[in-house]
Amino acid sequence: MQWWTIFQKELLENWRSLKWVWVPIVFILLAIMDPITSYYTPVLLEQFGDLPEGAEINIPTPTPEQAFMSSISQYNLMGLLLILIMTMGLISGERKSGVTELILVKPVRYTNYITAKWASTLLLVLTSSFLGLLASWYYINILFGDLPFSHAMTGFLFHSVWYVLVITISVFLNTLFRVPGLVGFLSVTSVIVLSSINGIFKSQFEWLPPQIHLYIQTFLNSGTLPTDMWITTVLTILLSAILLMLSVFIFKKKELAS
Amino acid sequence: MAFVSVSGLTKRFDKTDVVHDIAFELEKGNCISLLGPNGAGKTTTLRMLAGLMKPTSGSIVFEGHPAHSDIREVIGYLPQHPVFHYWMTGKEFLVYVGRLAHLSKKDASNRAEVLLEKVGIADAKNRRISKYSGGMKQRLGIAQAMIHQPKLLVLDEPVSALDPIGRREVLNLLEDIKKETTILFSTHILSDAEEVSDELLLMHNGEIVESGRLDDLQFTQDATKLKVSFSQNGDIYAEDIEALESVESVLKEGKHLTINTHNTDQARSEILQLAVERQWPITHFEVSRTSLEDLFMKVVKQ
Repeated sequence: MQWWTIFQKELLENWRSLKWVWVPIVFILLAIMDPITSYYTPVLLEQFGDLPEGAEINIPTPTPEQAFMSSISQYNLMGLLLILIMTMGLISGERKSGVTELILVKPVRYTNYITAKWASTLLLVLTSSFLGLLASWYYINILFGDLPFSHAMTGFLFHSVWYVLVITISVFLNTLFRVPGLVGFLSVTSVIVLSSINGIFKSQFEWLPPQIHLYIQTFLNSGTLPTDMWITTVLTILLSAILLMLSVFIFKKKELAS
Repeated sequence: MAFVSVSGLTKRFDKTDVVHDIAFELEKGNCISLLGPNGAGKTTTLRMLAGLMKPTSGSIVFEGHPAHSDIREVIGYLPQHPVFHYWMTGKEFLVYVGRLAHLSKKDASNRAEVLLEKVGIADAKNRRISKYSGGMKQRLGIAQAMIHQPKLLVLDEPVSALDPIGRREVLNLLEDIKKETTILFSTHILSDAEEVSDELLLMHNGEIVESGRLDDLQFTQDATKLKVSFSQNGDIYAEDIEALESVESVLKEGKHLTINTHNTDQARSEILQLAVERQWPITHFEVSRTSLEDLFMKVVKQ
């Protein structure tokens, strides 16, 4: 009941601040930008490139799978930044402004407070991410050829697992610090560090969360889900769950006013 | 047993006790003011009562409430600078906090309507809080603190940030509310405390230096000052005043004289008589009440 009250309030807040409008739009733009530009670049070069007579342009047209992966790559860079900037004040901002002094003197369970905020952010981000990849799938089918819908959706689902972890990291840091800028900086840093560790040790540890992208690619090309992908997914979800529980634990310990 | 008993309450920040070993009891149905200068530890004390801060040591016990249960159920709290979700309307906010306090949707809505009416902002209930004036926000703050019919209402400096009109409105509101619930509010203004509270807790440097019913406290009975201002330098009149029997001393500050007396009535009539006889150019005459500063000087010196 109380959880639902907070969840609804978050949805309403995101609606009134127009996040439910611009976040989906940005994700759709991010998802279709790469496939569309890579399709039209040769055409544009030919038409307006002012190339000397006889010059041959030979840019291989990406396969539908490659085009879809380029959308996911955009999600991993720009999408990620957007999410982290958007969530950096999720809890720390409310604490800094002092509104928590009114809210948390009511008999609010801290678990409800944190998980409802976490869930409402997930709903917004994953809906936007879904709409973006749906648009990407649609254009890829028109421009590059057939990409099975089930493949695109499987890609979306596994990529969502990575987003769940990213959002949880941000929530976790939100409970640790009360300055939104610091939370944003540290969450970007932790994602970069996590990706770098993965880059360096990927031959030794095959199940680090950022590895999911490689497996999505493997899946799109081969059509089968590698076992390692499942293990990575389970580990990522587990890590998120631990971080979320830690967030509640830390938040309980923290002094609400300073 | 008292309604609320606080004992040995201490809060330490970086090795200094902001609140040091204080103890007091609150009686049901009373309006108690926590009076003290800035930095006395009032806010910290109230925050501990409201469950926002954990005491370093000591205990707060509510009658009929088990030691480790959630005291937030029975407390309504208004911070010194309340911050709302400004994108909500006044009514939406009240319903939201009511729901957080486990009221049903219908109850929360009804209660919100009643409180909006009571605090006098019913006209603005569907306006965004960002459009509210300071006085309206303060009244909304009091309403949100009362939404779940708390047994104890804790208000941190409810009138300090308001202009004279807003202050009057909120003080009248407190007069009204105190019929329903126990109120503990902090202030650094003596007259506010005198006006609405039955009991005083005097706080100074993290300790409670004096407490009791207002009339029982000795400081209210003796020692007042007279302040007289002239349209020209007051020194020439000071001598005449000092010569009066009822006057203890005169402090000269340009056009203004501050007169200490042990017998206010006598001093007043004597000075006014002199003023009429000798046609003094008085611009201002005031029997000033003991200021908080004087009060503390007195209490702390004892």
